[in-house]
Parts: sequence; C-alpha cells; structure tokens
Amino acid sequence: MSPRLIALWFKETIALTRDKHGLLALFIMPTIFILVMTMALRDAFTPGVTIDVSYSVVDLDQTPISKALVKRLNRAAAFKKIDGNNDLATARNELLQGKQGLVLVLPKEFGSRLLTPGGTDGKPAEPMTLLVDPALSPTLQLAFRNQVMAALGAVRADELTVKAGKLFGLPVAPGATLEKDWPDEIRSEAVRGDTNAKIPSSVQQNVPAWLIFAMFFVVIPVSSIFIIERQQGTLQRLRAMGVPFHLILAGKLLPFFIVNQVQAALMVLVGMYLVPLFGSEALELPSSLPLLLNWWAVSSAVSLAAVSWALLIASLAKTSEQATIVGGVGNILMGAVGGIMVPKFIMPASMQKIAALSPMAWGLEGFHTVMLRHGSFADILPSLAQLLVFAAASLLAAIWLNHRALAAQS
Amino acid sequence: MLQIKNISYRYRDTPSPALSGVSLDVPAGGIYGLLGPNGAGKTTLISALAGLLTVTNGQITLHGQTLTEIRRENPRAIALVPQDYAFYPMLTVAENLRFFGGVLGLSRAELKTQTDSAIAFARLEQVVGKRAEQLSGGLRRRLNLAIGLLGKPQLLLLDEPTVGVDPQSRHFLLDSIAALPAAGTTVIYTSHYMEEIEAICQKIAIVDQGQVLAEGTLTDILRSPVPLLDIGLEQPLPEAIAQRYSATLIGEQKYRLNLPLTVTLQNLLDELDSEGCRVRNLNFGQHDLEQVFMRLTNRSLRD
Repeated sequence: MSPRLIALWFKETIALTRDKHGLLALFIMPTIFILVMTMALRDAFTPGVTIDVSYSVVDLDQTPISKALVKRLNRAAAFKKIDGNNDLATARNELLQGKQGLVLVLPKEFGSRLLTPGGTDGKPAEPMTLLVDPALSPTLQLAFRNQVMAALGAVRADELTVKAGKLFGLPVAPGATLEKDWPDEIRSEAVRGDTNAKIPSSVQQNVPAWLIFAMFFVVIPVSSIFIIERQQGTLQRLRAMGVPFHLILAGKLLPFFIVNQVQAALMVLVGMYLVPLFGSEALELPSSLPLLLNWWAVSSAVSLAAVSWALLIASLAKTSEQATIVGGVGNILMGAVGGIMVPKFIMPASMQKIAALSPMAWGLEGFHTVMLRHGSFADILPSLAQLLVFAAASLLAAIWLNHRALAAQS
Repeated sequence: MLQIKNISYRYRDTPSPALSGVSLDVPAGGIYGLLGPNGAGKTTLISALAGLLTVTNGQITLHGQTLTEIRRENPRAIALVPQDYAFYPMLTVAENLRFFGGVLGLSRAELKTQTDSAIAFARLEQVVGKRAEQLSGGLRRRLNLAIGLLGKPQLLLLDEPTVGVDPQSRHFLLDSIAALPAAGTTVIYTSHYMEEIEAICQKIAIVDQGQVLAEGTLTDILRSPVPLLDIGLEQPLPEAIAQRYSATLIGEQKYRLNLPLTVTLQNLLDELDSEGCRVRNLNFGQHDLEQVFMRLTNRSLRD
C-alpha cells in the first residue's frame, strides 16, 4: 500500500473527526429523521389498522359466543379497543367525558339467541346497542357498525358450522370452539409492475431511505475539506510535491466510503434497537449470508455514488457556502423526488416515473429488493449498475473540472 | 546551479505574457532574491520552477538536468513554500508535518528525523500539539516554512514568506532562511520588501512586467551608474553651489548632487566648509535598493 495514500487517508480521517458540523449531518441527522419519520408515518404504511377512535364492549351475556364476537371484533377492528369494567353506567359516563367514542352493548341471551330469529320462539329479539359520541363522524360510526355486522356474521357462521358440521360432513373436531382461525382475513398487497411486493413497513421504508439521504450528505465534509485545500493553496503544494490529482481523489474516496459504511451499520442498529423503544416495530435484516452480502453491495454502491457526487460538487463550488447550498439543496431535491421523504408507492404514477431519475431512488429500490423481496444479486444488478455508472460519471466530471481549472490557470 | 534560459509564459486569455524571455543564473549555495512589484511575474516564475506550470519556450536546468529529469531522479529536489498558509488548519502542527512528510514518501525513520529537525529549525516545539488554526501569523509562517524543508530540498522556493508577521517573527524567519545555504539548500526568495532582500540575498534580479530589468550581485545592483551624492546639511545649501552641481532637494536640508568626477567630492566639502555649511551625513556612489527598484520600475502604481 502506498505510504502516500495512507498519509492522505489519515489526514482526511483526522480532518473529518474534527468537523463537528459534518459529523452532525452524517450521524445525528439521519438518526433523528429515522426516529421521527418512523413514528410519524407508522400508520401511513399499514392502512386501516388503527383509527384514533376507541370503543369498548359491555358484554351483558358473558357466553362463549359473546366472547367470540368481542374477540373477532378486536382482531378485525381498525378502532382501538378499551378494556372497560363491563359496566354500562361506567361506559356511558366515559362516553360523556369523551374518553371513548363508541360503546357496543351485547344484550343478555345474545349467545342463546344467535341462531334464533326474533319471534320464532315467541320472544322478541333483543338488539345489540351502539352508544356513540355525537361528535363522532357518521362515516366512522357506519364503519364501526359494518365491522360489528361482519364480526356477527362470522360468529354466526362459526356457530352454524359447529352445530351443523356433522350434518353436512364438515371436519369438526370434538370439543371445537368458536375461537378458531379461519382463512377469512384480508392482507393488503401493493401491486407493482409484474412482481407483487409487500408494502414496506414504516421502519423498512425509513431506515434505508434516510440512510441513503445521510450517505449523500458526505457532500458537506468532503467539500469543506476540499475547498479549504484549494483556497489555501494546499492542493497546489501537493501538486508541487508531485502528488497526482487522482491520488488525492483516491485519498478521499476510502475514508468517506468507510464513513458511509459506519453510517449504514449505525442506522441499521437504530432501526433494530432504538426504533422499538419508541413503540414501533423493529427493523429486520435478511438472515441469510447471500442476502446480507447483497444488502452490503447496495450500501457500497450508494456510498460510491454519494462520495463521487460529493467530489463533483466540491469541484464545482467555489466556496464552502456554495457547496453547502448546492449540495444540500441537491440532496433534498433528490430525496424529495426519489421517494426518500414521500414513499414512492404513494406517489401518483407520473411522479413515480420522475422518481426513477433520482440516484437516491435507485439505492432505495436496491435496498427494498433485498429487504422486501429477498431478491438475488441478479435482481439488484440494475440498481447497482445505475449507481455505479452515476459514480463513475461524477468522478470523471470532477477530474475533468479540475484539469480544466488547471488549464485555465496555466 | 539553476539556469533559466529565455523562458516565456502566457496565461490563457491574457493579452500580455506573464514571463517574456526571462534568463537567470542562480548560483548554488546562496540566497537569490527575486524582487518585483505586484504582478511582475515573480509567482509565475516560482510556479514554473515548482513544476506547477510548463513554460512555452526556453529551458530550465538544475545541475545541467531538466526539471523533469531532476524530478524523476529525486522528486524532493525542489520544494515550494507558497505565499498562502498551505497546510491544514484543523490538523495540529505535528499532524501537518507528518502528513506532508508522508505525502513526500519519507520512510518511517526519515519521517521522524525530518519532522524533528523541521520542528527544531522553525522553533515549533512549544506548539506541536496545537491545531494550526490556533497559531499566530508568525507561527503559521514558520510552519509553512518547516513543511517546505521536510524533503531536504536542494532548491527551496520561497514566495513572500514573511507577509503578515510581526517584526520579531520576521527577524527570526530571515535569520533561519539565511542559515539554509550553510546546510546545503539554495534558496530563491521573492519579496517586495527591499530591506529583506538587502539583508539576506547575495544575488538578486529585479523583474517587472515579465522581464528581468536587472540581475547581479547586490553590490553590483546597488552601485550607482552615475556619481550621485546624497548629502544632509545643517543649513540650506548655498545657491551657487546648488547650481554648479545641479542639486535637487530630496528632503529637509537634504540634497542630491551630481558629481562629474569623484575627485570633486573633496572640493565640494571644502567649499561647504568655507561657506560655514556643516555636513550632517552623506552617501556617495551607492544607492539603496529602493531607489534602484523605483528607478527601474518607473514608480508607477501597479494595482
């Protein structure tokens, strides 16, 4: 290994560790973004799972059938269930105080009359009652009512199956209960192109997204050091010492590549251990080694693209203020367009086409291919190729700009 | 040692050349002063010697070898100390020295020896652990110089190395630089501070508008081409004497007289004595560098 290159790496590393603003942008900013955005967007990624309206059930029947209904409702409902003390007066009071929005009252004999329509045995059917907060939107009331009806239908069907199963030759185990899982739940799938992929969860979207965003922020420290070198005549001194420009660039690539990998490790750890502390699900990395290597390949390609882009911006900018503005705004635009800030799957089709132009989108696509679809190396190859071509083009442009600047000088 | 023969250089998109037919002869083991107003071409010349730009015609040789050959043989033969503080402000003094030593390709042992000797040379012992950005102007200049010495160069190019320092640091820098030839380093020193050039340079060149206006030893340059006498008196110069010697007033009771022959100096002094005019000081036959410089560069403002 060339001792000159080692000296350059060493210098860059020390300079970076003393650049407080740069470190803040590289490590603290994405951590905060991941936490805040994962919390803020938690519900946007699992549509309909929870609505911020709570309900309780007052079960006056207390039979297995009424309990089955409560359980089904709880499993399917998008509303938040509050476990009350099963007392009508208390529930009514809490409704008045606005502590909950809906109270479902299951009448006595609810279970025994489940399969007996009103009037068939001479008794009227006592209906279920839904107590509602009058301020609650009628749409939500209707939605809850529909969910109760659906749950009721399912419980009735279950009961019928148990009671009439033998008659129709259905497989009914002895002592079967009403609490079995039936294949009647609906899971959402986003249809994209010719492959069906799960929608990323909030943490699956946010960790790679803000990691990519943070990686591209190496533009701040890269350009701040590079511009000092140019303005203070250090680059000229290095040239007079016979250090070729490509060696100077190589001296910057590796330290910042390592910085990017440290960022990747840190953001994954944030996703796995810090995010759950704030009540969201933990990030899960693929467990097999080939998939992990694919993940790392994407991370490396994003890093090469980010550092090369930073070197290009540093070569273009005359002052560090210019670099901060051009680099910072450029990154924000790439992030906004590329599905970092607003996930691509909720963009309209036309915007999704524009998103495909952002290098950040290529990186995110690569990460999602590995994390959500468990894609092979061949699957991530298009993303890798795009990023590497972008990196090479940026690097060549940076070298060309510096040669041009020297030619103008001479 | 260093021969510069008829070199020219023109920056792109500029009407006049920065260097035009410049020829210089820099002897080994001395300090060669390059004097000129702003924009004279000093930095261009230094850059050409440092290999930062390639001259369009002419030839530069060091010990008979071209610069390319010299660099190939010993990349550390020529070192440049730029006008700017060309080091890393966020690195400490020691880290800067280690970095530049490393970039020069010094071995571990060489790096230690050279760093230590550069620190001792520039008296940086007290600040080795301090970040360069926290140093005073004088200490920064010393660090800038110390970095230039890491590769033990045969030829050291100093581009205005004392700009912006206090008088104490300037004296220290000048004394240190004056001691370099004894250690085997030839120095080319550019400045527009006349007294610095006069103090440490054995040979000088005055350049302006890309051309060499005068080159020679300091004594040669300062020798007056016409026998002028600068004289300070305690009374005003009598009119008759003033007319005979075409005197011009150059200060308060200070005059410059034109003496056609050196022998007339005794006559003049006798005449003044007989008129009761006492002489306070006189300077005959030698100018100071500033006078020569201003005469050659025509006193016009350059910026």
